[in-house]
This record gives sequence, C-alpha cells and structure tokens, in this order.
Amino acid sequence: MSLTSKLLSWARRKSPWIIHFNSGACNACDIEIVAALTPRYDVERFGIIIRGTPRHADVLVCSGPVTRQIKDRIIRIYEQMAEPKFVVAVGTCACSGGVFQGCYNVEGGIDTVVPVSAYVPGCPARPEAIIDGVVKLLSTLEEGKPPAKPLVIHDDPANDDDMEEAANG
Amino acid sequence: MADEQKLAQALEAKFPVLAGKINLVRPRRMFVEVPAESFRQVLAHLKKEQGFVYCCTITGTDDKDTLAALYHLSDEAGTLLNLRLRVPRDAPVIGTVTDLYPCCANYERELIDLLGFTVENLPPGNRYPMPDDFPRDQHPLRKDWQPAAK
Amino acid sequence: MGTVTIPIGPQHPALKEPAAFSITLVGERILKSDVRLGYNHRGIEKACEQRTYTQDLYLIERICGICSHAHTTTFITASEEVAGLKVPPRGLYIRTLISELERIHSHLLWLGVAGHEIGFDTLLMYSWRDREVVMDILAMLTGNRVNYGINTFGGVRRDFTAEQLAEVRKSMDVLEERTKYYIEVATSEPTLAKRLGGVGSLSHDDALRLGAVGPTARASNIQRDVRRDDTHLVYNELDFKVITDDHCDVFGRTVVRVLELMESYKLIRQIIDKMPDGPVSVKAPRRVPAGEAVARYEAPRGEDIHYVKGNGTDKPERVKVRAPTMANLAAVSKMLEDNNLADVPIVVAAIDPCFSCTDRGIQVSDLGRGRDETLAWGALRAHGIEWWRREAGVDFASLNRKLSQSLAAR
Repeated sequence: MSLTSKLLSWARRKSPWIIHFNSGACNACDIEIVAALTPRYDVERFGIIIRGTPRHADVLVCSGPVTRQIKDRIIRIYEQMAEPKFVVAVGTCACSGGVFQGCYNVEGGIDTVVPVSAYVPGCPARPEAIIDGVVKLLSTLEEGKPPAKPLVIHDDPANDDDMEEAANG
Repeated sequence: MADEQKLAQALEAKFPVLAGKINLVRPRRMFVEVPAESFRQVLAHLKKEQGFVYCCTITGTDDKDTLAALYHLSDEAGTLLNLRLRVPRDAPVIGTVTDLYPCCANYERELIDLLGFTVENLPPGNRYPMPDDFPRDQHPLRKDWQPAAK
Repeated sequence: MGTVTIPIGPQHPALKEPAAFSITLVGERILKSDVRLGYNHRGIEKACEQRTYTQDLYLIERICGICSHAHTTTFITASEEVAGLKVPPRGLYIRTLISELERIHSHLLWLGVAGHEIGFDTLLMYSWRDREVVMDILAMLTGNRVNYGINTFGGVRRDFTAEQLAEVRKSMDVLEERTKYYIEVATSEPTLAKRLGGVGSLSHDDALRLGAVGPTARASNIQRDVRRDDTHLVYNELDFKVITDDHCDVFGRTVVRVLELMESYKLIRQIIDKMPDGPVSVKAPRRVPAGEAVARYEAPRGEDIHYVKGNGTDKPERVKVRAPTMANLAAVSKMLEDNNLADVPIVVAAIDPCFSCTDRGIQVSDLGRGRDETLAWGALRAHGIEWWRREAGVDFASLNRKLSQSLAAR
C-alpha cells in the first residue's frame, strides 16, 4: 500500500484536525498553507480539517519566526492542545528564524519554544511540501506514537514520489 | 519644477527663517530643514494653505549629537515635502502632530519606543511596536544600542 | 455597568496573522474599537543597517509575502536614487510587469478571503483557483510562486523570452473572462449587495482626514493612486484608469478591487506590447554615497513608502518602511463605529490588512451587559454569518450551490 493510501485509510478513521498559527511570519507560508486547502491541492481529501481552536486540534501547523510578543501565545496554544499533539514548523523562518535570525525582536525558530515534530523548509514552503510534511507526520502516528526523531521535508517535489502523488492525487 | 520652485519661494517669503534651508532635489521631492521654534507654524501652514493634507509617515534618525524627525508630507498632486525637525540627543522633545494629522499617532509612538523621543500631548494609546514588557529605556534604533545578552 | 471585552486575537484564522483588536459594544452595536499591533515586529529596519543593500533586498522582500515585490521595488528604487543609478528601460518594464501580476494575485487572494468572512466560501475556492493561473505565471517567470526575487540593485535579475511573454498574455485572456463573471455576480446578486452595502462606511471627508490609501480610499471617492500621482516605474508610459467608487463602504471596496483587476489585465498587455529591447540592469556600486531618498509605490493595498539614507559605505545608514495597511488602520476604527459585531470580520478584511506589513488579536467590551469576553476570530466570523442569516435573511448557502454548479460547467 502506498504512503498516501495508508494515510487515507487512517485519516478516514481518525480525521486529524489542524490548527494553523502565525508566530510572526510574513504571510508567504500562511497563504501557501491556505492554498493547500483550495481545489488544486485539496488537503481535505486526506481527511485533514483546519480548525480555529487549539482544544480540538491534533497538529499545530506553525509559520514564522518567534517574535518576543508572540512567544507566550504559542506556548499557551500548545498547552491547550490535548495529547497526543504534534507541531509542524512550516517555512525556513519557523525552522530556524530564517532571514530574521539575529533581529532584535526575534527569538528564533518554533523549536525555541515548543517541541517540533516535523520541519518543512522553504521560503515559502510550497503547498505540496506542506501537505507532504503533514501527511508523513500523520502516517508515523498510525501507531499513536510520535516519530523517533523529527521529520525534515525536502522542498523539491521532483525528488519525492510521495509528494508527486500528494500533488496529483 | 515650476510648482516646487514657486512653493519654495512662497515659503521663504512667509518664513524667512527657512532661507537656504529648502532643497529641491528633483521633481516632486523637497527637503526642508525647519528650526524647532518655527516647526508648528510651518507645518500648520503647509497643511492648511499649501495643500499638504497627508502625512505619509515620520522617519526618526539618530545622527550622533542630534536626533531628527522627518515628516513626509504629500499633497494631492504627488509632491513629497520632507520636513526635518532636529532636536538635541539629550533632550529629544517634540510636540504631537496628531491634531493636524490623526494618522500619525503610531508613527510618533514608534519614535518613542525605537529612538527615545518624548512626544508631548500625544493622546493615550497602546504602546507600539515593542511589547509591554520591553524596557522603556531601551531604544533599538539608536546607533549605540546593543541587545541584552540572551 | 461593566464592559464586555472580547479579545479576538492575536490569532485569527481568517487573516492568518496576529493582531489584537479591542471592541466596545452596547448590545450588538460597536461604540468604539482599538488595535494593538507589534506581534509581527521583527526589527527589520535595524537589521537593514547591518546588512548590505543587496542582502537587504532579501530581507525586505520578506516583510510581507503577499506584496513582497512592492517592498523590494520601493526599497531598491530609493537606493538607486541615492546611488544615482538609472535602471535601463527593459528592466523597468519587467519590474512593472511583476508589479501588476502581484496586484492581480493579491486582489484575487482578497476576494477569496472576503468571501470566506461572510460565508461565501465558493468565492474563496474559485478565486483562489483562478489565482493559481497567476501563481503559475510568476513561477514560470521568476522561479518562485511567492517571494519572486526579481529585483537586484540596478535592475532585475532575469530577462524574459518572447515565448514566456506570450504565455503571460494568454493567461490574461483567461483571467479577464473569469473576472467578468465575478463582476456579474457582484453587481447582480442581491445577497452580496445586501450583505456588504452600508457596512463599514467611511465618508469621503473622514477617509481624507484619517489618511486612508489604496482601494480603501478610492472606494470613498478619493482620487489617489501613486501610479499616477507620484509616477514610478513605467506607469507614465501606460494608459490606465484610476478606479474610484462612491459607495464608501465594503461593497465599494469590493467593486474597486474587481475593476482594478480588469485594469491590470489591460496594463499587462500594454507592458508586453511596449517592452523595449536592451539590457535589464546596470552595475551597482558596492559603496553607496551619502545621501537620502524617498520612494513611493502603489502596492495592492495602497501607498507603500520607503526612506533610504546612504553613508558612503556598503550598508545603509537608515531604512524606514511604512506599508499601506498602517495608513489605513486609523480609518478602521472609524469604519467600525456604529456597525454590528457581526460585521467586524468583513470590515477589517475589507482594508485588506497585511499585519506583516504593519506588523500586528480582538477584545470586545460590552457596556450594556457589563462583561469581558474572549472571542476567537473563527467564533466571531460564525457569529457574523449566523446574525446576518437570522436578522436579515442573508444566506450564502444557495448562492454557494448555484455558483458551484455554474462555475463547474465553465
């Protein structure tokens, strides 16, 4: 069974709920996350639904470098999520602070405040890479266990058959 | 450049203190250095009599012994008149312009937080852009500012 | 008598950006509102002083992913003025082409977000599907869907072939056809006019007094467009209309953006027709002389203004950025006055706020019921959609179905 069909059957049973949070990003990753919902990429066919509240979410999809003002809020959102919970850092800024490393109001990547389960680099991360990141993370959770070490997604779809499949259904 | 030259002449006629302080850089770009004591009158005149109804933003600069606030004023014809007010670094006090240009409130708050200006008569409001727990005596855009060690 | 404070934010799913709004209510009516910004403040201006002009291009591009080209173009135009550089005409034409493509993607993005705010989700799905046509064009021309990196100090980094430009022209035909359909829906669908008419009103005089810019100002009949007033790039060689509307409300802001899309398609065809041959950049000096310049640009949201000061080194002395949303925020408080809580999402969305640009949650105070409440934006949107259905019979469910069917057939 391919990765996506394994996930599809899992998703039909579990229907993971995602919450999206911008921790100080420029919006480029955010609009690519939203694009993932639209007909061309259609993440909902994986049974993935985006919710507005942390309390029912399984996965926190986070973009942006962590600014000083937003730090406490990310922590609060993470704490409101019920276990098991996972964090996907979307975009180079979320992974490491990106171009904003060293800026006076920026702490760094998301993993400076909460544990990250999957890193999706890119500036911005492409919708295919974002979906791939969420799909790969969720497939490791079939057993209900988080990945042994955090996943890192390559952002070149040409190198990844699963991502091609994700993009073309 | 006819309009900008006419405007420069009119300003020097009305405010002799501006003689030699008006720089016509190119079409639609003027820089005017205004002494602090004439700032209010010049600004009000520009807005009410010369059609500079719009203040795009205020740029604060740290120029070693002085700080400066550069008001970017625009008229409806697209001319940008950049009015510079210079104050001593150890007493950077300016008056609010929000009575003339209401949208300047946050631009003035930025001068306070990032460069350490004091803005008199600024109406109360939320701090911008730094968070409430950022020390009030720290001004990141000052040339000598170093972030605290993490 | 206490207050109902409904802090919404700084995380609102609709806008995907953090900000914190504070609203004072009596019953459903808004008395006043306030915005707390700063959540996206990253310290970019300071960082610019510590990097070279070319490095700053990559930093400034990431002020905002939606209008990244606007910011780099404005910054580099000011820098080129300080350095005394003259970008060759073909380079300027290429910059202008990307500018108008960016305007199209941004307005289509906005159309979808606005639809989502009022429960008209089919509009989101279809306008973002159409937007993918532009994303593909931008990726073909520049190598990236978002954050195009086309500008360099002295011009642009890439040239375009005749074949690529022919592709761009073809896609303008496709988009123009689809946008005509949206115009038809916008002007003939009573549900949309009912939902958006009279909402978020901002009189001509208030818009002027509060310094509004862009489509927000033009929807209050202010003739203000930097492309014409403080002309930049090659706009003085192109023929286009400044679109204004006198509704002074959210409906007007929708009309302005949709008609601006049509102008952009026309502009792009002209740009392709008139594009001169020649080099696309000049060599830039490593050190930029002492001097200062201010550049202005009509970004999709309105006037973007950058100030650059050189000091004879390879790094700028000072860079100041004021993005358009910042100029429109004072107007938002005025627009919300005397509106309903149910209208907060669409009124805020109607200025097309880019809190990254401005940098950037909603607190609502109800003086009647005397309590403070925390409302997530999603809950506020749901409240708005439900309130309008209940009180005014505005329900997009059937329009969603009808549009799905007819658009699927196209």
